[in-house]
Amino acid sequence: MILAVASFLDWFAKSRWLVYIRDSSFGMPALQSVHLVALTILLAAILVLNLRLTGLGMVDWSLPALVRQLKPWSIGALALVVASGVVMFLGNPEKYLASYPFLFKMTVLGLAILFQFSVLRRLSTLEPGAPPRRADFMVAGLSLTLWFTVGWAGRAIAFV
Amino acid sequence: MSLLGWCQWLEQTPLATAISESVWLFPLIEGTHIMALPLSVGLMVMFDLRLLGLAFKNGSTARLMGDVVRWSKLGFAVMFTTGGLLFMTQAGKAYGNAFFRAKLIFLVMLGLNALVYHAIFYSRMAEWDASGRTPLGARLCGALSLVVWIGVIICGRTMAYQF
Repeated sequence: MILAVASFLDWFAKSRWLVYIRDSSFGMPALQSVHLVALTILLAAILVLNLRLTGLGMVDWSLPALVRQLKPWSIGALALVVASGVVMFLGNPEKYLASYPFLFKMTVLGLAILFQFSVLRRLSTLEPGAPPRRADFMVAGLSLTLWFTVGWAGRAIAFV
Repeated sequence: MSLLGWCQWLEQTPLATAISESVWLFPLIEGTHIMALPLSVGLMVMFDLRLLGLAFKNGSTARLMGDVVRWSKLGFAVMFTTGGLLFMTQAGKAYGNAFFRAKLIFLVMLGLNALVYHAIFYSRMAEWDASGRTPLGARLCGALSLVVWIGVIICGRTMAYQF
């Protein structure tokens, strides 16, 4: 199984379009631009949900309504951010697998996604105008800390 | 002094050389610049989605704008401070860079777009909350903002590859 995955990755990393993206002068900037635009939209949507959760903004909407309305944007942005990230990874898998910031980033990313789709979802019952609870501030703080840690770890890949 | 001369002088100032020569200062400032994107550009894009009728349905447009502006002010303060510092360290190279120039033009366009929106639509937001129909002009402002902000991010990321 692992061998099959490894040989697939190897084949993929050598495929012509991937090599083109990696080695052309505009491939990497284009890929990273997609990554940044998508992360801007994803994290802004998460920021909006947390502002609502804590009652610091967007109080005209219930949390379920915001979750529902932002879903296509957050899911779409997450898909784009992951897809562009996977292509970058496959362009140079050995480099990323040897990078501690990358491994840390993937761990925190897993936690952030898990947290977002379990805890925040379960708590997302606030109706318009409902006052926040103390737990809501803790959940929002943890959510934002996790997601922004993913971002910082990502930036650290280039520098460490 | 020419503008290019000023840029080159800027690069040689003690603050600029301190940032360039520090191991951790440049990554820290650049990382902060990027991580302020959701709090600044991202929130603006959220308001654009409202103008385009793509999210935030049924609430008050004016209150959403108030919330977005209140929080994104913080984001933009971080953006302009860190952006200014990053520019200082590479001002000479940035001066002639096409992507940097495009980014500045885009930022001016966004400023003008915001002024136009403020002048024409600011006082009328309550009307279209009631009717449920956003005027075409306001939707165009939203579309322009959305597209040009994406252009700013692309130019910002790409210019760094040319240094």
